[in-house]
Amino acid sequence: MHNNPYLPQKMRILDVYPQTDIDITYKVECDIKPENGQFVQVSLPRIGEVPISVSDFGDGYMEMTIRKVGKVTNEIYNLQKGDNLFLRGPYGKGFPIENYRGKHLIIAAGGTGLAPVKSVINYFYRNAHEVKNFDILAGFKTPQDILFKDEIDLWRSKFNVLLTVDNANEGWEGHLGLITKYVPEIEIRDLENVEVVIVGPPIMMKFTAQEFLKLGVPKHKIWVSFERNMSCAIGKCGHCKIDETYVCLEGPVFNYTKAEKLID
Amino acid sequence: MSMDLNVKAIKKNAFRITKVRGKTALRIRVPGGLIEAKHLQAVKEIAEQYGDGTVHITIRQGFEIPGIPFEKMDEVNQKIAQMIKEVEIDNGVDIDNAKKGYPASGTRNISACIGNEVCPFANYNTAKLAQRIEREVFPNDYHVKIAVTGCPNDCIKAHMQDFGIIGMADTQYERDRCVSCEACVKNCSLRVTGALIMHNGKVRKDERRCVGCGECVLTCPTAAWSRNPEKFYKLVIMGRTGKKNPRLAQPFLEWVDEETIIKVIKNTYEYIDKYIDRSLPKEHVGYIVDRTGYQVFKEYALKGVVLGPKARVAEHINFGGYLYERDGFMK
Amino acid sequence: MGYRLSNEKFNKLLDGLKGEYKIYAPIRFPKRGRFSDTDLIRYGEINKVEDVVWIEKSNYSPKEIVFPITQTLFYFTEDEFKESMVHNKKILIFLRPCDINGMRRLDTIFLNNGPIKDVYYERLREKVKFVMMECKDGFENCFCVSTNSNYTQDYSIAVRFTSNEVFCELKDESFQQFFSNLGTEMNFKPEYIEENSVKVQLPEVDKITTEFFNHDMWKEYSKRCIGCGRCNMACITCSCFTNSDIAYEENPNAGERRRVWAGCHIDKFTDMAGGHSFRQDYSSRMRFKTMHKIYDYKKRFGEHMCVGCGRCDDICPEYISFSNCINKVSKTLKEDESNAQ
Repeated sequence: MHNNPYLPQKMRILDVYPQTDIDITYKVECDIKPENGQFVQVSLPRIGEVPISVSDFGDGYMEMTIRKVGKVTNEIYNLQKGDNLFLRGPYGKGFPIENYRGKHLIIAAGGTGLAPVKSVINYFYRNAHEVKNFDILAGFKTPQDILFKDEIDLWRSKFNVLLTVDNANEGWEGHLGLITKYVPEIEIRDLENVEVVIVGPPIMMKFTAQEFLKLGVPKHKIWVSFERNMSCAIGKCGHCKIDETYVCLEGPVFNYTKAEKLID
Repeated sequence: MSMDLNVKAIKKNAFRITKVRGKTALRIRVPGGLIEAKHLQAVKEIAEQYGDGTVHITIRQGFEIPGIPFEKMDEVNQKIAQMIKEVEIDNGVDIDNAKKGYPASGTRNISACIGNEVCPFANYNTAKLAQRIEREVFPNDYHVKIAVTGCPNDCIKAHMQDFGIIGMADTQYERDRCVSCEACVKNCSLRVTGALIMHNGKVRKDERRCVGCGECVLTCPTAAWSRNPEKFYKLVIMGRTGKKNPRLAQPFLEWVDEETIIKVIKNTYEYIDKYIDRSLPKEHVGYIVDRTGYQVFKEYALKGVVLGPKARVAEHINFGGYLYERDGFMK
Repeated sequence: MGYRLSNEKFNKLLDGLKGEYKIYAPIRFPKRGRFSDTDLIRYGEINKVEDVVWIEKSNYSPKEIVFPITQTLFYFTEDEFKESMVHNKKILIFLRPCDINGMRRLDTIFLNNGPIKDVYYERLREKVKFVMMECKDGFENCFCVSTNSNYTQDYSIAVRFTSNEVFCELKDESFQQFFSNLGTEMNFKPEYIEENSVKVQLPEVDKITTEFFNHDMWKEYSKRCIGCGRCNMACITCSCFTNSDIAYEENPNAGERRRVWAGCHIDKFTDMAGGHSFRQDYSSRMRFKTMHKIYDYKKRFGEHMCVGCGRCDDICPEYISFSNCINKVSKTLKEDESNAQ
């Protein structure tokens, strides 16, 4: 069959960057040009296929940060530099970067939710003049769960980064508590020129959005990214449908005005 | 005039000696526990005209009408004749004269669960099989209890009989129709023997664990599981209550067809005829098997039986049960 | 153009067609039904007109012909992907108007939802031609008239079966050659059912709000529905599936990627790696399915999804009637509207 959309391409792993005990970032050689916030279907033949968000990309490469949480990702976890991954995509609608230009951008990310927005952050890190202000709120369960530590430190040099953990043992000197606790501390001077991106577990996105709404941020200025069970990624298998919306086609990134109406 | 009765002849005629002097009770057979409702009229009339107005429903699914004076037995037999004709003779049971009442009472009513005319679990029409067995074995004086049940739930308590016949579904799996919902696997593990497991997204059956209940067919949303149209049965034998050594019937045959069941039961009557202890007033078949040993019974029961490829036969049986006295069989 | 063929002649026609077509129709599998001594009626290949079960409704729809329950996408030898293949014959399906209308819904999802076509569906679907089985009386639980699915013109041949002869309308000229010299030419036009005993009132799409998703009317289904998914499997329009890989036991270096049907009522449908899932409560699954069939599909594609074949009602072990549910939705919406005024 020509144009078999289910046929993945073999891609070589250029490097692996362990992030935590269970999260590894894989840099693969590829000519796919994704948009920020899109996802790909990653597979290992005979093991299975899973949707994974693109955590970064550049000329000739793409990065995905993959947590070991199931049959397929457990196998991927064992892969080394030089091994192959199988990819198809990219799929879905990503973050509308053009909407964020010249604005006060706030990104609130919980846990692995930082992965799909990392390329957005890095884009503005490279093009810092394109945003007026940039606040980054990153929350993790414990200090051991923190992803992209080195990059977070880099971001601090240009942006206001607040890193918090839910729980920590003695020795943690950073912020403690849920992201929602720190939302009110963000100074938003111009509600018309702010853009808020929230990515994380469903419950985190719901309550974080509520905090921003309390601050007066209009709904249409808030963006979220959904994660759902997906099999095909091309609008056929039905697993990710919510109401008349297919997360794989119209998402995973949604404006809050749409997202709030998506009842599973 | 004083009453002078041939008690043995009366008992054979399905009347009973009761504790009330001068009064008997009639036992009416209902093979398979299923009769046309119109026959209830005769039962009612006998009870009201000759008995004390009550009817006892027996554990074997017959009717027992108490309080009948012995001298009314002939009249009662006239009254029950139409039912005997329609239920027994028309079913092919060898009874010469319906107007003389039941010709035997040793082999008890063949009871049956409601079967697959009604019950979703049943694997066959139990009443039909019970009626066939009735035709094959009745009338007979040997004391044999037979019950048939539709599935291993054994609602008729086939395990309390000399012969318990349990329907088995040979469930067959069409793997391409399976959607991996695991409904059958979960159900089998929860309610049955856990004979099913998932492997590579499809289901595997452990044939040795499968009891043939057919529940996988009931739970399957796509008809990936269906029954082999061929009928199979399990035969459990020599279960009993009683004052000596109560015990559950034990599996003798599995995955056998109806003809095998019938042949084995008929062979057993010949076995009884050969081995029964005639010095006793009566001897239940289970105690005969206790005396001769299972191997002798087995050899007799399987005479002329051609077993199908799926059939399995017990090599040995440990009947177990318990003895009221440790030395219950010591003489 | 029409033909009147004795069953014998019709079988000659089928013989002729068999060289080019795989011919599918609802057929009887004796004693293979859910309960012992009941029959299963589902689609299968036929050899003669007597095989076609036209006096009863099939338990399952013809969707499995174009959307197989289990379908291998790729075979793997180590890391090599090899696409699965299909037979090289064309396909002829005997089916009723409701199912022909249902097939259009499947086409919509597999071929027109999103920019990418499902090639595995397409490669079977493009082989298919329809023989419409006239359906004048319908069956228990049918409500095709209410869903406008009682009528269609999308067929190559239409047939009326009788006990000893078949009346045919021939619309597709390519079949002409198979009919020549077989039967008597005549005028025949199929008739359509005009009224079902079951009628549903489909809700107006713009009357449904997101609040309605959490309405109390769904609650009863949380105890009534058992999440078995028979409704999904029997439905002509349910088209969900799950892809998964397996490694062959004899040699795990070889394996396959396959897809099998999935259903929104069945556990694991929304499960994600890491443990999160949605719609754990059965009432929300009932709501999700119902809204898809009579609300959101229409918002997306302009026509309702449900075609009213009633197979979900036929098969539900818990006597949950979908037609009753649809009417309940419409009634509840009306009541809420009048209460609000």
